[in-house]
Amino acid sequence: MTFRLLSAAVLAGAMVLPAHAAEPMNDLEIAHTAYTAGQLDIRYAHLALAVSENADVRSFAETMIRDHSAVNSAAVDLITELNVTPQDNDLSRALVQGAADKRAELMGLSGSAFDCAYAQNELGYHQVVNKTVEESFIPAVTVAPLKELLTDALATFKVHEGHAEQMVSNLQCS
Amino acid sequence: MQLTRRQLIAAGGLAAAAAALPAAASPAVRVRIRKFAFDPDTVSIKAGERIEWVNEDFAPHTATEDDYSWDTGELGKGSTASVLFETPGTHSYYCAYHPHMKARIVVTA
Ligand SMILES: [Cu+2]
Repeated sequence: MTFRLLSAAVLAGAMVLPAHAAEPMNDLEIAHTAYTAGQLDIRYAHLALAVSENADVRSFAETMIRDHSAVNSAAVDLITELNVTPQDNDLSRALVQGAADKRAELMGLSGSAFDCAYAQNELGYHQVVNKTVEESFIPAVTVAPLKELLTDALATFKVHEGHAEQMVSNLQCS
Repeated sequence: MQLTRRQLIAAGGLAAAAAALPAAASPAVRVRIRKFAFDPDTVSIKAGERIEWVNEDFAPHTATEDDYSWDTGELGKGSTASVLFETPGTHSYYCAYHPHMKARIVVTA
């Protein structure tokens, strides 16, 4: 497995991925990366709740916090049960850095400029993460309960992607 | 929808309403919430029966009547809540968190 999927899509968001990204990821790295992706979306959502005055954007953000928290708490339960420690890795670090950059950009915006940038980022972020989870993580994972968790999580994230698409189109951003 | 009087039991947060219902006296028809859908999405029951929802997704959901005349409140994974339907009529409901999730209950005499 490679980071090709993620790196290609992430370039648009100015996320720089490490050059040597072709090493296969193990279960613990995948678990850590999926968890990180959820936590980052929760942070975006908290920012949206702090800045946005748009009811649809706020309700979307609340749903992101609620759903990603639920999925990640299930992940923590599983990790605890399996008694393993998820591993930081190049991809999860790249995600963290990319999100920090994006948050910095979003923090400079307000009103509909913020709403549009947040909504478009949510759409792009879910598209990229979903593609990676579906095409790279799920096929690569070896532990059955983790595969199951990722599969359920993907179903949730796909609904979010659909909502984000709707939100972008409702906001009528240029 | 004012034609129905209902009582509500929810697993969490609605203890006061739960206390009002005589301990699971009436039969319950189960609706599963899974993969962001109500299953089955249309249920027919007789007046005096209950519907019990169980959420099998990680994402929390609700079953909320379109006119807000009843609402299960938030259902986390594995949680259940039930509503008693005493009067014939048709109820459309949805998930307040994921509004594309829609379903119907038909209560007959
Ligand atoms: Cu829902």
